[in-house]
Amino acid sequence: MFLEISNVRKSFGAEDNRVEVLKGIDLEVGKGEICVLLGPSGSGKSTLLNIIGGIDQADSGYIAINGERTADMDEKTLTLYRRKHLGYVFQMYNLIPNLNVRENIEVGAYLSDRALDVDELLRTLGLYEHRHKLPNQLSGGQQQRTAIGRAIVKNPDILLCDEPTGALDYKTSKEILRLIGTVNQKYGNTVILVTHNDAIKNMADRIVKLRDGVVRRSYKNDAKIPAEELEW
Amino acid sequence: MKNPLNKRLLRELAGDFSKYLVVFILLAASIGFVSGFLVADGSMIAAYDESFEKYRIEDGNFCTQSELDAAEISAIEEAGVKLYPNFYADQETDGGSTVRIFQNRQEVDLVCLMQGRMPEAADEIAIDRMFAENNGLEPGDTLAFSDREMKISGLVALSDYSALFSDNNDMMFDAVKFGVSVVTREGFEALEREHIKYSYSWIYEEAPKDENEEKEKAEALLKTVMENASLQAFIPRFLNQAIQFTGEDMGSDKAMMTMLLYIIIVILAFVFGVTISNTIAREAGVIGTLRASGYTKGELVRHYMAMPLLVTLLGAVVGNILGYTVFRLVCVGMYYGSYSLPTYTTIWNAEAFVMTTAVPLLLMLVITFGILYHKLSLTPLQFIRRDLKKNRRRKTLRLSRGIPFFSRFRIRIVLQNISSYITLFVGIIFANLLLMFGLLFPSLLHHFQTEIMENMLCRYQYVLQAPLEMADADNVLEYLLAAARMKAGTATQNEDAEPYSVYALKTVDDRIESEQVSIYGVLSGSRYVPLQFSGEGVYVSEGYAEKYGLKAGDTVTLKEPYGDGEYELEVAGMFSYPAALAIFMEQEQFNETFGYGEGYFNGYFSDTEITDMDDKYIASRIDEEDLTKLTRQLDVSMGSMMYMVDGFAVAIFIVVLYLLTKIVIEKNEQSISMVKILGYRNSEISRLYIMSTTMVVSVCVLLSLPINDIIMKRLFIFIMVDMMPGWLTYYVAPSVYIKIILASITTYAVVASLEYRRICRVPMSEALKNVE
Repeated sequence: MFLEISNVRKSFGAEDNRVEVLKGIDLEVGKGEICVLLGPSGSGKSTLLNIIGGIDQADSGYIAINGERTADMDEKTLTLYRRKHLGYVFQMYNLIPNLNVRENIEVGAYLSDRALDVDELLRTLGLYEHRHKLPNQLSGGQQQRTAIGRAIVKNPDILLCDEPTGALDYKTSKEILRLIGTVNQKYGNTVILVTHNDAIKNMADRIVKLRDGVVRRSYKNDAKIPAEELEW
Repeated sequence: MKNPLNKRLLRELAGDFSKYLVVFILLAASIGFVSGFLVADGSMIAAYDESFEKYRIEDGNFCTQSELDAAEISAIEEAGVKLYPNFYADQETDGGSTVRIFQNRQEVDLVCLMQGRMPEAADEIAIDRMFAENNGLEPGDTLAFSDREMKISGLVALSDYSALFSDNNDMMFDAVKFGVSVVTREGFEALEREHIKYSYSWIYEEAPKDENEEKEKAEALLKTVMENASLQAFIPRFLNQAIQFTGEDMGSDKAMMTMLLYIIIVILAFVFGVTISNTIAREAGVIGTLRASGYTKGELVRHYMAMPLLVTLLGAVVGNILGYTVFRLVCVGMYYGSYSLPTYTTIWNAEAFVMTTAVPLLLMLVITFGILYHKLSLTPLQFIRRDLKKNRRRKTLRLSRGIPFFSRFRIRIVLQNISSYITLFVGIIFANLLLMFGLLFPSLLHHFQTEIMENMLCRYQYVLQAPLEMADADNVLEYLLAAARMKAGTATQNEDAEPYSVYALKTVDDRIESEQVSIYGVLSGSRYVPLQFSGEGVYVSEGYAEKYGLKAGDTVTLKEPYGDGEYELEVAGMFSYPAALAIFMEQEQFNETFGYGEGYFNGYFSDTEITDMDDKYIASRIDEEDLTKLTRQLDVSMGSMMYMVDGFAVAIFIVVLYLLTKIVIEKNEQSISMVKILGYRNSEISRLYIMSTTMVVSVCVLLSLPINDIIMKRLFIFIMVDMMPGWLTYYVAPSVYIKIILASITTYAVVASLEYRRICRVPMSEALKNVE
């Protein structure tokens, strides 16, 4: 299996204030799949995503990507690993304010020796005509598309998306989800998408429902639909 | 592919142009001035060092009471030296200055002609360039002495008088009231014999290999000279302030200037550190995302270091260009204004380049790297969550509801910006230390001058000398006759005149280089030195006590300047006499201690001029002008420099204040925008945000005063004890503090008005922006 999560536990705080956020998560995701982690606030989905992305550490258990366990890596190796294999998209776009759209995407391209063609990607993202604009000249959806472009341009094995539509309206959210679907199809990246929006699960290959730090349900979605058909 | 983050640099520069501009200007000006100073200093030192060989500067000189005969010269030269008569006479000008006249030298201590020509006729004179400048004299002018007039043929620099010390024991040279000059042989022979000082310069046949050997040779020569002549002064070159002071002072100036530059760089590096921290806080999300995407900490450290280093590099390049052009000339002018140096050529100074380019860059690199490495060591997740405190405060500081809302708000702003305010405090301390130095100096000199005036022993102090006929006496009878004539010649009817004795000894202290102390023997019940002597105790001048840490009951050990004799004196108390390091004892005790007969004296104190004494018995007359030459010369040499120091201090003050208060406003732009939306007026917002900074600045300025007073006093004492003979009383006039406060208020007012404009410009839409 491409992504293997085994008995991952994570808690925050100490002694009386200790809160166990992940209580032994087991999960497997295949290469090129879209996996939606679904659950209410506090269910541990973002924490799990951060552990998968190597920006947080599990207390126990392990994550293996393509057979490589992230827990065995030191900080330097982990950074190199993220650089080569992972792309991140957050709810907040975190674009560099004094770089234009194209340059923000180049920031991602710089990290990879197998980067995608930036102009082609800009067209795929529908940002080509906006490529010279600075982030503060863009709408929220355009900014999020730029953020996706920055994450995807380095052609990562896994695209990690943490509530990518959390700050967007319905129409723009669908646009972004359609884009993630397109990117997945076009470049074959594995996508792990965290959301609390139940409707989004329908575009996934695998649906994982989390609650109170445990996987309540994990199943393959046999009725996968394109993002533009999602309704909520 | 080039790192696309580099594209930010120019935009960052354009976006925060004012910040980088003020830092650049301060850097370029500081580096430029120091670079100019070091180039001038290096070129001058090279010219000075070269002058020893080029102008055949003596290895030392000594003065005898009378001219040596051939046998005496031959006996002394057997000690391995070659002697060169270098006689001189000190002549008073009509303007009240003293000009030391030498016959033009041909073999030793050669003269550098700076302007005009050397004297050719008996009534022509070439005078020291700096003395001429300070007294408004030029070639072609006439210099009037009491008995004749001489035409100035040219301006010169005497290689053995680069610093114009009239007396080697003086604390400071005097280029205003004392000058040196050369005349032709005929011109010199026309001088009255009574005024001639029999000075002999010597050069070792075999140059000493090192300082130790030089000292040994000088000691051996001293013994030989004492065996063969009646010695009045003996000054080896290494002790000759007129020769050495310039080189030593230029060396210490260099150290001081580079230290000043490095302190400025360190402060600017910390200012950059604070601004970078602010940028990191503002861009935390971006940094977190970049780190999560795989950017390494090193890449981000390098990225955020680039601008400070770029600005420093640019400042260094422009500074060096200014240094070699404009500032070099300014600094050369400063040296020529203080020292009588020969002509120089500008020398490319690699060391100056390293000190003003490589070292500032390195300092900036190390400090910004340290700050960035520390700041960027958080995890990507902490950046994404904007959780930037390594040690998060567990509880928010509770503020009493009794404190008015506005005050609580301001306290929160101060706490939020504590790192900026700490840097601000350090910057204010340094800027005010500089300002204090600049302001303190003239007031300290003025106070010292007043203190000298108020504590002068008398208005006219005469030192008597035995006439030549006593030294030349071939038998006891001749000597006694001469002594009797002297007694008659020095008797005075002036009722103010009071006899006293004076003797010079040298200090013996392992920590401090030996220096001269004047020992006064005064009459019991003296009108001029009102001390109650009892027993064997002596009174020491307050400056002497302060410098050597003496108190009543201590014993001071002093030695003969040209002999082995040592004296131990018990301190009975202190006496206020700031003009010199001095010891006062009862005259009887004085005569007993130094082996003089009863009733011996060698000077007069008097409040009125003594006019009925034969001039030939007067070695010197000390009045106000003699006692204040130190303050006069320091004022001339350093007065203009102090204005520059003040200017620098104000510039640093403005830059530090501007940059750090700007951060406070920038950090709070969203909050400012929000309170604007709530309906607060700009004046109310200013009362919140600017008043917080105003309060901090006020506290910092007030705290900086006592702190700087302590630092300044320690620095001053260090300089006085370790680097200068004599003693100046440390004194800060209350007006200095007032001026510092006023300067701080004025400069802050400028900065605050800029900040007020910034607050007015914050748009209400800022609060609605996505936090990027």
